[in-house]
Amino acid sequence: MSTAALEEPWATSSDRGAVAPVRQRMSRDDLTMRIVLLLLTGWLVITVLLPLGALLIKSFEGADGSFVGLSNFALFFANPSLTQSISNSLTIAIVSTIICVLLSFVFAYGLMRTCMPGRGIFRLISQVPLLAPSLLPAISLVYLFGNQGFAKSVMFGYSIYGPIGIVIGEVFWTFPHALIIMVTALSISDARLYEAASALKASPWRTFWTVTIPGARYGLISATFVVFTLVVTDFGVPKVIGGQYNVLATDIYKQVIGQQNFRMGAVVGLLLLLPAVFSFAIDQWVQRKQSAAMSSRAVAYEPKPDFVVDTAFLVICGLIATAILVVIFTALFASLATLWPYNLTPSFKNYDFDNMDGGGWQSFYNSLRVASLTAVFGTAIVFAGAYLMEKTRGFGAGRFVFQFLALLPLAVPGIVLGLGYIFFFNSTANPFNFIYGTTTILVVCTIAHFYSVAHLTAVTALKQIDQEIEVVSSSLRVPFYRTFFLVTLPVSLPAVLDIAMYLFVNALTTVSAVVFIYSSQTTLASIAVLNMDDAGDVAPAAAMAMTIFLAATFVRVVYTVLVRGVLGRTQAWRRR
Amino acid sequence: MNQPSEIADRDGPYLKIRNVTKRFGDFVALQDVNLDIRRGEFISFLGPSGCGKTTLLRAISGLDVQSAGSIEQDGRDISNLPVNQRDFGIVFQSYALFPNLKIKDNVGYGLVSAGKSRTEIKSRVAELLTMVGLADQAEKYPSQLSGGQQQRVSLARALALSPGLLLLDEPLSALDARVRARLRGEIRELQQRLGITTVMVTHDQEEALTMSDRIVVMSKGKIEQIGTPDEVYRSPASPFVADFIGRMNFIPGTLVSGTSADCKGAVLSFTTALTYVQGTPITICLRPEDIVVRDIASSSNAVDVEVGVMEFMGNHFATTLHVSGTHLNVSADLSMNDVRDLSIRPGSKVKAGLPADRLRVFSTT
Ligand SMILES: Nc1ncnc2c1ncn2[C@@H]1O[C@H](COP(=O)(O)OP(=O)(O)O)[C@@H](O)[C@H]1O
Ligand SMILES: [Mg+2]
Repeated sequence: MSTAALEEPWATSSDRGAVAPVRQRMSRDDLTMRIVLLLLTGWLVITVLLPLGALLIKSFEGADGSFVGLSNFALFFANPSLTQSISNSLTIAIVSTIICVLLSFVFAYGLMRTCMPGRGIFRLISQVPLLAPSLLPAISLVYLFGNQGFAKSVMFGYSIYGPIGIVIGEVFWTFPHALIIMVTALSISDARLYEAASALKASPWRTFWTVTIPGARYGLISATFVVFTLVVTDFGVPKVIGGQYNVLATDIYKQVIGQQNFRMGAVVGLLLLLPAVFSFAIDQWVQRKQSAAMSSRAVAYEPKPDFVVDTAFLVICGLIATAILVVIFTALFASLATLWPYNLTPSFKNYDFDNMDGGGWQSFYNSLRVASLTAVFGTAIVFAGAYLMEKTRGFGAGRFVFQFLALLPLAVPGIVLGLGYIFFFNSTANPFNFIYGTTTILVVCTIAHFYSVAHLTAVTALKQIDQEIEVVSSSLRVPFYRTFFLVTLPVSLPAVLDIAMYLFVNALTTVSAVVFIYSSQTTLASIAVLNMDDAGDVAPAAAMAMTIFLAATFVRVVYTVLVRGVLGRTQAWRRR
Repeated sequence: MNQPSEIADRDGPYLKIRNVTKRFGDFVALQDVNLDIRRGEFISFLGPSGCGKTTLLRAISGLDVQSAGSIEQDGRDISNLPVNQRDFGIVFQSYALFPNLKIKDNVGYGLVSAGKSRTEIKSRVAELLTMVGLADQAEKYPSQLSGGQQQRVSLARALALSPGLLLLDEPLSALDARVRARLRGEIRELQQRLGITTVMVTHDQEEALTMSDRIVVMSKGKIEQIGTPDEVYRSPASPFVADFIGRMNFIPGTLVSGTSADCKGAVLSFTTALTYVQGTPITICLRPEDIVVRDIASSSNAVDVEVGVMEFMGNHFATTLHVSGTHLNVSADLSMNDVRDLSIRPGSKVKAGLPADRLRVFSTT
């Protein structure tokens, strides 16, 4: 109905010629933002995409560098000891995943759906494994159940060196990752469903299967794939406690470091990429489903005290938490004993790193340096990238490419990324070759390795700020960077600090990516743990692992206290 | 209103929107929209949710430019200008205040970048805050103010650079009813005092009717009617407008002459002559409050009716009248006085008039 419009005098036919599409001119802000976003895209291309490309190319190369098609893959599958690793990896991953997901579900259920006492403490303890390299639980297991372990008898003659040890170590190490997912899944449930169920006189058992489990199913799926991928691609635990039991991740290490067979390493690397990419795709799907499942009108579920249930969960969660603490304290005591288990007199002998292989205390200082640089530069790059991706107007293709590259590291196991770095940066044809063997490449690689989670944290924080703030600013003709520094950054400060903390702790504890690219001048503490353990210096290895753990814990605690104080003072506006 | 058409003739429209179309993929959110807005005018875009009001506002502001068509502001073609080269202040439903800045810094935000001196900024901020009645809140943070106060800050901030055009996107929708009613009057008063051309998006007809010089009623990406509040209320240009604004009886019928129709057995006459042939199906629109039960003029369609269920609405009774000897029922609002004086109660038989000059007739095809 355009009769109203037709009555207006100006609506003559001559006026109606303008059908050319309108293209908005770019402002200086738009231009600047696009250029910086492109630069950051270039950064991700160089630090993530091209190393992966180099890995891919390597897997199709012969000894002389010529293209040999799939013959490397054929070689791999013809080698029974290598293919055995595939089935070993799968076995370990499936068993660990089942155990870890079950335990984390129970633990999360206790935290979110019961009134058991001590939930705060339990939650804190559950996150402890994140502060240690995956080598630490493996070393502790050696002390607990190894040849001289004080609890060796409970093994009934089975050996901890091999699948059993790997599974226990992996469950310990992946537990906090699974728990975070399960807690999220259980926190988004609708109390009204439970009220409906009890009004219909459904038994608690039936309610559990018809309401709780379906509500948490996406979390279960997501946790399953995340844990599976972490286990398949982890190399710290099997390296230390795997004994003769080979898995894919240790094979890469042996092929590359032991036999200098880079092409076979590349083939195994590509194989490891498969489960990671698959689980990444599943996770993306789950995230979409999960956010759709959470309607804004859902009423949060409030658990009611129930003596039997609360006690039962207190016992189960208490056992799990105790197990975590036992693992940590075993490493601590072993590192402090003069000669475990024969002479338990405390001493700092094992902390005398300078008189041992592995790089000495210098490697610990190197780690602190890399971790600090990673935290500072990583946070700056990640937050700037997330900001520009969210706020650049138009430029859909550019933003999409950036988003893809920013999420790509989530699907790339550290060990695969590290291998790609060798191929890419060690090539003399690469203009960036000069960073090879320096601290810089360790920092660059670590930022790339942990980019995605940091990026998602930043995006989430940015999405919580009123989107109209930028609009108002540009209508007031204020340049975007002014609003960024004056408003966006201060408002996002908690998230920024979280990202810095995340990068710092991970840089301190990671082994997988950096193990291929450190040099004798840039050894890291986590690698020293690996090398000392390899050389049979298990107690010093435990001591170095403890040093990392204590440093991470110390920084974490200081951070928590500081953040409370600083945010309390500078963020007065958050109070009502 | 003092002869706005003359002003328009002399100055030309302040905002000239021509053939503006906006597509999101295959979806057409605005279709060939044409509109002139005069200098100093308060215009409301009114329509149901999703009809394209915000889209049109975003095209005017340059936040999301139209796919085709042109927009001129004050004689300047702004169609492809980026946001920061346009001249407008904007207020959102969410206030969009900078949460970490004090009220005075929120209001002075644009002034700093405009290169004003400290003292200039200080006095301008004070002036703006006084204008919106918040002079004593300058040192607080947004979260310490009520919703209505925050929206006033947002208004002061939008006006800081004295823009030529003020854009309001559902400015009152997040507020509770009493604050909303008060702010309505305040915004209108401020707008008239400053004489600033203003476009407000709203889905609330009461807001549009009370605040605007003219209302643009929109539906499905098109303009249904442009007119003063009185015009769109009294003479809706389409059944859509009639239905959307106020309450309305829709009475189906067929034409028996150019000025009368048979509606379910009752023959109703109306003043605006139609040129359709006899037997054309039509719809007659009549507001419940236009039905009268006493002093029925000779120009009214006088009918005998039986009163149905009566609902007490506070200041009147809403009821259904059954026209005797026909199948026609109409909703009517009866004043308290009429009900009392004529002792009307459910089941009463009275005479009612459906005034011919109040019937709006639309062909049903
Ligand atoms: N960015 C967008 N992409 C796709 N569709 C959109 C977009 N913005 C608005 N729309 C659609 O355009 C229509 C009009 O939206 P809008 O102008 O916001 O409506 P309203 O009149 O409620 O303000 C809606 O159907 C909406 O879904
Ligand atoms: Mg809208």
